[in-house]
Amino acid sequence: MLKLAWRNLIAHPIRSILTSASVCIAILLLCLLRSIVTTLDAGIEAASATRLIVMSSISLFVDMPVSYQQRIEQVDGVDVIGKWQWFGGYYQNPRNFFAQFAVDPEHLFDMYPECQLDEEAKQRFLSTRNGCIIGRKLADDPNFAWKVGDKIPLVGALFPHPDGGAWEFEVCGVYTSSAANFDERTMMFQWKFFEETLRTSGQDPGVGVFVFRCEPGANVERIMGEVTAMFENGPMSVRCAPESEFQRMFISMMGDIPMLLGWIGTAVFVALLLGCVNTMLMAGREQVRDIGIYKALGFDDVTAFRVLVTQSLLLCVIGGAAGIGLTLALKPGIAAAIAAMFPVFIVADETLIFAAVLIVLLGLAAGIVPAWRASRMKPIEALRAEH
Amino acid sequence: MTNAMIRVKNVTKSYSRGGETLKVLNGLNLEMDEGRFYALMGPSGSGKTTLLNLVGGLDHPDSGDLFVAGANLSDLDGAELARWRADNVGFVFQGFNLIPVLSARENVELPLSLTGLSRAERKKHAEYALELVGLKDRMNHRPKQLSGGQEQRVAIARALATDPKVLLADEPTGDLDRKSAEQVLDLLVRLNQEFKKTILMVTHDPHAADRAQSIVHLEKGELGRIEHNAPAAAK
Ligand SMILES: Nc1ncnc2c1ncn2[C@@H]1O[C@H](COP(=O)(O)OP(=O)(O)OP(=O)(O)O)[C@@H](O)[C@H]1O
Ligand SMILES: [Mg+2]
Repeated sequence: MLKLAWRNLIAHPIRSILTSASVCIAILLLCLLRSIVTTLDAGIEAASATRLIVMSSISLFVDMPVSYQQRIEQVDGVDVIGKWQWFGGYYQNPRNFFAQFAVDPEHLFDMYPECQLDEEAKQRFLSTRNGCIIGRKLADDPNFAWKVGDKIPLVGALFPHPDGGAWEFEVCGVYTSSAANFDERTMMFQWKFFEETLRTSGQDPGVGVFVFRCEPGANVERIMGEVTAMFENGPMSVRCAPESEFQRMFISMMGDIPMLLGWIGTAVFVALLLGCVNTMLMAGREQVRDIGIYKALGFDDVTAFRVLVTQSLLLCVIGGAAGIGLTLALKPGIAAAIAAMFPVFIVADETLIFAAVLIVLLGLAAGIVPAWRASRMKPIEALRAEH
Repeated sequence: MTNAMIRVKNVTKSYSRGGETLKVLNGLNLEMDEGRFYALMGPSGSGKTTLLNLVGGLDHPDSGDLFVAGANLSDLDGAELARWRADNVGFVFQGFNLIPVLSARENVELPLSLTGLSRAERKKHAEYALELVGLKDRMNHRPKQLSGGQEQRVAIARALATDPKVLLADEPTGDLDRKSAEQVLDLLVRLNQEFKKTILMVTHDPHAADRAQSIVHLEKGELGRIEHNAPAAAK
C-alpha cells in the first residue's frame, strides 16, 4: 500500500514536491507562531505572584513622583519596595540594544531570588556608586564581551548626562537567572547614582514602576485597592497589579499578539488545506481507472479508500516532518536573532505534538473526499472512465 | 446444470439516462459449459460488455439470476462479491488494464495479495504467470515501456495468477495489430486447452471469434444464434 502510494506520488514529481514543500513551509510557520506565543506566555507564567507592580494609570511610559515610595511603604502589609526606571541608553550605537534600569539595590536580591549573584559581587555592587550588574547573556555577547571591572560608557538617549558626555558604569558582577521572566540581557545600576547625577543639572527623575512585596499572609486585594485609592486624586493616579498581570499588560501593549498569531495560523492552515485538497482531487481523478481495476480484481471499497488516503497522508507527513525538522534546525538561529527582546525562545514539545496532529489531520482531510469517492465508485463506471 | 460454469437466467438490465430508460438485456437465458472457450459477438450497443460485467459480478441485474462458478451472484453483497471475484474470475479489458505506476510483475502480484500467499510465493507465482505469457524478461518494465500486445499479455498473466476458473475478456485484441492479436489469441486458446479455463471473450473480429469453440451472438439484448466451431481451434 505504501509502495503504491509512493509510486503514485513520484509519478507526478513536481506536483508532489510542490505540495510537500508547501506543507513543510506552513508547518514551519505554524511551529514558529506557536513558539512565539509559548515564549510570551512563559514570561507570564514564571512571573511572581507575591510581587506587585505600581505604574502610572496612563501608561508605562509616564513616570510617577519619587515621593510615592514612602507613601506606598506605609500601607499596612507592604513589606519591601523598590524603584525601577527604564534608562534607554545605548552603547556606541543605537542598534546595540539591551535593557538598562536604574534600581534600588538594597532589596533587589531579596525580592528577586531568581536573580542569582554571588555574595562578594552583591557587596561590590552595593558599595560602588556607579556600579552595575549585567546578565550572563549580555556578558557573553561577542559585541560587548564585558567582564567584572570593565567600564561601560552608555549614551543616555532619554537621560543625557549633564556633562554632555556618556554615563560611565562599572561592572560589579554578572548574574544568572533561574526563571523565564527574569532576563539575562539586562543591566541594572544604582538609583542613587542616577538621581544624584541628574540633580547636578537640576533635573528630578521620576519612577517608571514601583515593585513591592507584601508581608506573608497579607490581603493582596486590599493592598492593591488601598494603593490605587491613595493616589486617585492625583497628582498622578496609578494602577497596581500583580507581576503576572503586568506582564500580560506589557505584552498586550503590542496588541493582542497571541490572538493575531492564532488567526494567522488558522489562515495558513486553511490555505494549506485547500492546496492539499486540490492536489488530492487531481490525483483522485487521474486514478479513477486504477480504482476500477482494483475493484475488478476483487479489492474491496475500503482498499480503494485507503489507496488515496495513504497518498494524502504520505504527502503531508513527508512535508510536515521536514517542517518540524526545519523548526528544530532553525531554533538556535531564531533564538539568537530575537535574544534582545525575548530572553528565551521556547519550542515546546506540545507545539511539536500539535504540529504532528495537525499534519495527520491535514492528510486525512485532504484525502477524504477523493478517497470517499473512490470507495463509492462502481467498478463499471470507474472502468468506463477515460474511454 | 451439472457442468454449466455460467448460467444466465431471465436476466434483464436497463440503464437510465436523463429520465429515459434504456433496456439493454431483455430476459436473457444462456448456459456456458465448464472448460469451453466462448466468443461473444454482436453489434455495438447490443449489451456485450453489460453481460460480461454481470457475469463477472461487477454489476447487478435488474432481475433474473446469474450462477457463475458455483455461486448465485444475487446472494452476495458488495464485499462478498469482491471476494468472490478475487477467487473465481480473471478480467482482461480492452486497453489500459494495468496500474501505470507498478511494474509488470507487481501488476501480476496485485490480485495475489488478496490470497494467503507469502511474499516469496507471490513473487514466484507472478513470475510463473509471466513466463507463461512469454514476458518473463520484461517483468520489471512499467506498462508504458511495453507494447499494446505485451500489455494485454501481462493483463492475461494477471488474470491467471490467482488460477481462477473463469476468464472474462472484453475485446482483448481490439486495439492490437494483427500479429499481437494473434499472440494474445494463441495464449487464450492455450489457456483453454492446457489449463481448462472457461473463457468468455467479447469480440468484433470474426477472425478472433473463429479461434473460440463456440460463438454466441447477441442482438438487441436477445440471444441470437450459437455456432460451434467443429474441432478445437488451435492453429
Ligand atoms: N453505465 C451506463 N449508463 C448508461 N448507459 C449505459 C451504461 N453502460 C452502457 N450503457 C448503454 O447500454 C448499451 C449497451 O452497452 P454495452 O457497453 O453493453 O454495449 P456493447 O455491446 O459492449 O457495445 P460495444 O461493442 O460498443 O462495446 C449502450 O447503448 C450503452 O450506451
Ligand atoms: Mg463493449
